[in-house]
Amino acid sequence: MWGSFTSEWIKLRRRSMILWGFGAGLFFPLLATILTIERASRYGPFDRGHLPIAALEQANGLVHGVTDVSSLIGVVSLCVFAAAFSIEYSQGTLRNLLVREPRRTQFLAGKFAALVVFVLVIVIVSIGISVAVAFILAPGKGISTSAWTSGPGLNALFQSVFHAWLAAAFYGVFGAAFGIILRSPAVAIPVAVLYFLVIEAIIVEAGIWSGGGNWLPDHLMRALAHGGNSDATYYHALVMLSIYSVVIAVAVAALFRRRDA
Amino acid sequence: MSTDNSTVRSASGPPDAAPSPIVASKLSKRYREVLAVDGVDIDLPAGVVGGFVGPNGAGKTTTIQLLLGLVRPTGGSATVLGEPIQHPERYLRRVGALIEAPYFYPALSGRRNLQVLARLGRLDDSRIDGVLALVELSARADDRVKTYSLGMKQRLGVAAALLPDPDLVILDEPTNGLDPAGIREMRSVMRGLADRGITVLVSSHLLAEIEAICDHLMMIDHGRIVFQGPIAGLLDAQQTGIIARPEHGADLKRLAKLCADAGKSARVEGDTLHVNAEESFAAELNRQAFAAGITLSGLEVSRATLEEAFFAITENEEAEA
Repeated sequence: MWGSFTSEWIKLRRRSMILWGFGAGLFFPLLATILTIERASRYGPFDRGHLPIAALEQANGLVHGVTDVSSLIGVVSLCVFAAAFSIEYSQGTLRNLLVREPRRTQFLAGKFAALVVFVLVIVIVSIGISVAVAFILAPGKGISTSAWTSGPGLNALFQSVFHAWLAAAFYGVFGAAFGIILRSPAVAIPVAVLYFLVIEAIIVEAGIWSGGGNWLPDHLMRALAHGGNSDATYYHALVMLSIYSVVIAVAVAALFRRRDA
Repeated sequence: MSTDNSTVRSASGPPDAAPSPIVASKLSKRYREVLAVDGVDIDLPAGVVGGFVGPNGAGKTTTIQLLLGLVRPTGGSATVLGEPIQHPERYLRRVGALIEAPYFYPALSGRRNLQVLARLGRLDDSRIDGVLALVELSARADDRVKTYSLGMKQRLGVAAALLPDPDLVILDEPTNGLDPAGIREMRSVMRGLADRGITVLVSSHLLAEIEAICDHLMMIDHGRIVFQGPIAGLLDAQQTGIIARPEHGADLKRLAKLCADAGKSARVEGDTLHVNAEESFAAELNRQAFAAGITLSGLEVSRATLEEAFFAITENEEAEA
């Protein structure tokens, strides 16, 4: 497993992987942070996109924008995992890899662990840069940042990073499954994104299954990234996603072990 | 399809004390309706360069994938370096392989690609420079693979196969894309491996190439092994012929009659007479031609090529079927 982990890191350090992964991972939190601060005001009307400055001056005000889009970091993670697994099939490199590491479960586990760490780095860097930008922009809008650096403020920040990473890791499980089953990035990424960004939304928002937000993975991962929301509590989301992930991991590992390379 | 061993011809080689690195018994692989490998029996002696020949689609690559644990057999059994193919983790650390085509990460350099494999297999990174030098890629080792020619990728594939310091090397079509100098270099690499006691199994559909490189041969056709044994034994067993060229073309018919009188069939091709006869008849023919006043400007023994031997065997197989 360690061999698979370290070998995957050589591939993850490719310029295209870094530019693509970090570019997409940074874009959404940065945009959300800028919009949240720039659209904040002392006086209403307030809605989800226009927060009162008083709310941003709270201890958790720093991560308001980031938390809103942390599920989009998860979608980036979904694509990174789907691409990393499926490309070994489409590029023809899987056979070479399995000759050097025939223990397929260990191979999968090491590769998955490397990607989880890679996504953690994306989350830390993208949230870190968003936080830095928030500190730069806040004084211009007359937002006091003193609560952000308080104990509760830092606690909210670290929780936000942890929840975003956890959600991204769960998205990764699904991304890996799509990649291994569909065996082509050109198919796996669009299908995965279509399911998570469109199909689930239609199922729940269009009322096909109004209670689906409590059970469907994308809604659960959004709840997890927010530390719990109106769809599901944090612990319900964590337990359900853990169950889904174990079932998927066992099924996909069994498929990967049995299938001809 | 039959898995009867009686159709497998073999020419026995000298007894070898070392255990065979590859042994297969009735090994089969079926993909739905297609029987890609049909009850293959293999016994590859240690330390040889073994050729695995057959037309495209004959089952060479599938057999190699079975031996490397990449695909699961649907019948039969096999061992590689004494270990069953159901447990490739027990033997692949001692096996180097180039499968089907040299697939690498195009955005990584040749050196980085080898590092990926070395780290994955927990192999010694320090061997990378050595194997790159062996395949003469040191100068381009830090360039991205997407800038490599097919021949360079092929050589990188061979370097990857040599990375684990293997006891057995399996190369699937290693000369694809190589220029004549590269092919010559590849032959030299393979002979060098055999000289170090490493068993090499090389597959190709280019029979002349195999004839030049290998000392042991396995022929596969329609998923079945139709011959295995020393290559010299196969060629010796094939019918030889004699090609005679009289000084004057007008003597061709008289020369053919001399052969017919001796009980040998012959046919005229251009200004030569092709006689179906063993090598020893050449001297007899020369004597009789001289006695009949025919001067020969050329007389040579023609031996069957591997290609001719292959077609002779496969045509015979089809006739028997």
